[in-house]
Amino acid sequence: MTWRCSTGAFLCFLLMAGIPAQAKKIRATLLYDGQTTEIRAADEDAGQLWITTADLKRATRFELKPQGICRDELCFPLPKSRRDEFVRKSAGKSWFNLMAFAQLVHQPVAHDEALSTWYFGLRSDQRPNLSSLEAPNFTLADMEGKTHSLSDFRGKKILLITWASW
Amino acid sequence: MIYQQLKDKNFEIVSVAQDTNGVKDAGPWITAAHPTYTVLIDEQHLVSKLYNMVNVPTGVWIDEHGKIVRPNEVAFVNNQFEDFSGLDSAPYLNALRDWIERGDKSGYVMSEERLREKLAVNDPNVILAAAEFGLGEHLYKSGHLSEAIPHFKEAQRLNPKSWNYKRQAYALSDAKRDYGTTFMDEVQKAGGSKVYYQPPDLPPEAHPKDKKP
Repeated sequence: MTWRCSTGAFLCFLLMAGIPAQAKKIRATLLYDGQTTEIRAADEDAGQLWITTADLKRATRFELKPQGICRDELCFPLPKSRRDEFVRKSAGKSWFNLMAFAQLVHQPVAHDEALSTWYFGLRSDQRPNLSSLEAPNFTLADMEGKTHSLSDFRGKKILLITWASW
Repeated sequence: MIYQQLKDKNFEIVSVAQDTNGVKDAGPWITAAHPTYTVLIDEQHLVSKLYNMVNVPTGVWIDEHGKIVRPNEVAFVNNQFEDFSGLDSAPYLNALRDWIERGDKSGYVMSEERLREKLAVNDPNVILAAAEFGLGEHLYKSGHLSEAIPHFKEAQRLNPKSWNYKRQAYALSDAKRDYGTTFMDEVQKAGGSKVYYQPPDLPPEAHPKDKKP
């Protein structure tokens, strides 16, 4: 549905005020755990980002379950008293607020308004605890495309060294 | 090369290129060096993010159990850039040899207390900077350089210690036009190339007989 505001700002304001917050549908590009997903209908609402639970699963593999928001063995319980901040029903669908979830799991988010793109960084469960002194593992490809993990070299002493062309 | 001398002593080098353009930019360097150790391509600067690294080259020593025994420090394994850095690689390489030979008994292995001091804690700005940088990289790669620039700048503002964020962004742009500066200008501002790289913090008592290899 589109609203045109050609009949004067005041009337327009009255009309807009009558629209439920979820009426502001946008397209969004989500970058989550290294995966890019186009969302055709998201709700952006006062800095919050609502997507359907179907899109949630597609973009993040997280699912809404009775015990919380889960992916495989990983589950984050949603605070019961604040459930409305995370989940709502509208147009026969369940919607999930990814920004509230990011805040809950201490996940940094970068947003580009012009390109309607959101980048979700490492959640607290994904960030290494360096004070454990355990070397964070990673898996990357070599020039031929063959992947290697740091953990492949366990049992040897390793000099890990970064460099760059620039 | 140091790897040839040490590879039979249960030692590996894992070398990781922090290059947004991946093989396109890092490939020619790798081909020219024809290394026998493992060289990986890290387009998203994941290793710098995980280890809180802010510059290159940065080295970390990891023991047989996967434990960090020396944290992030400037790590030159040859003197290719000595004119710029003013750093001779010999003391670092001698320290490395000492660790390979003596393991935990090496004076270059840091105490757990010092390691914890040196490995930066989670600063929320540094964590957010990584997300801004990640968004900038994505926008750049999807053909939106001008939209990427504000996010690269935000990453630099949030984590001003990171030379990686500056240098990678400059390399993807006309730095003077888009950032009003250049890498060399920034090095001058920081006090010149001889202070740009902090020499490795090697205890003097632990390398009594440093000789060039």
